[in-house]
Amino acid sequence: MNLFLQVIAILAVVVGTLFSVVGVVGFIRLPDVYTRLHATGKVGVFGVVFLLVAAAFGEPLGWGRGLFLILLLVITGPATAHAIGSAANRIGLPRKGAERDDLVYTSKSKS
Amino acid sequence: MKTLEIIFTDILYVSLLIHIVLMSVAFYRVWRGENVIDRLLGLDLLSTLTLAVLVLLSLINQRIIYLDIALGLAALGFVGMIALAKYVADEQMF
Repeated sequence: MNLFLQVIAILAVVVGTLFSVVGVVGFIRLPDVYTRLHATGKVGVFGVVFLLVAAAFGEPLGWGRGLFLILLLVITGPATAHAIGSAANRIGLPRKGAERDDLVYTSKSKS
Repeated sequence: MKTLEIIFTDILYVSLLIHIVLMSVAFYRVWRGENVIDRLLGLDLLSTLTLAVLVLLSLINQRIIYLDIALGLAALGFVGMIALAKYVADEQMF
């Protein structure tokens, strides 16, 4: 049984690290702020959550804290991204390569 | 059984190294950010990566106290990030 848990923990750590790498590379490479928001969301939600799954399996006693931390991350991740996104839109950051800018009409300009 | 333990700790150390490299890369981006939102985003990424490092430490040292620290960091980081985003958007906090 212990062997099985260890294997799951190893896989979860590897997948979590891969998601973190993808997220940070996205944070660097993507053209404008809004797409970068999308990338950092990956790190926060998927990267750390898989590490927490590994923590839940790696340490038998810590699974309660791990699950609560997963719940906390899944709730706060999108909320933070939304706050930053709306802040970026309100100070009028451009969207590179946008086909059709839906937000131009709704966002009240800084008069 | 012994080899799996060693493999597990090795993978944890490699993952820790990768996360530290990612943190330095994100910090460079914060340092060289084009606008304020990029820097804010980089700080958010840094706090998330610190969270990941804390969880990895809890796995390496087999101590659950690190998960509590990660819990505190996640909660406070969230509140701070929302306040900063609101400050950037409206130029006044309340």
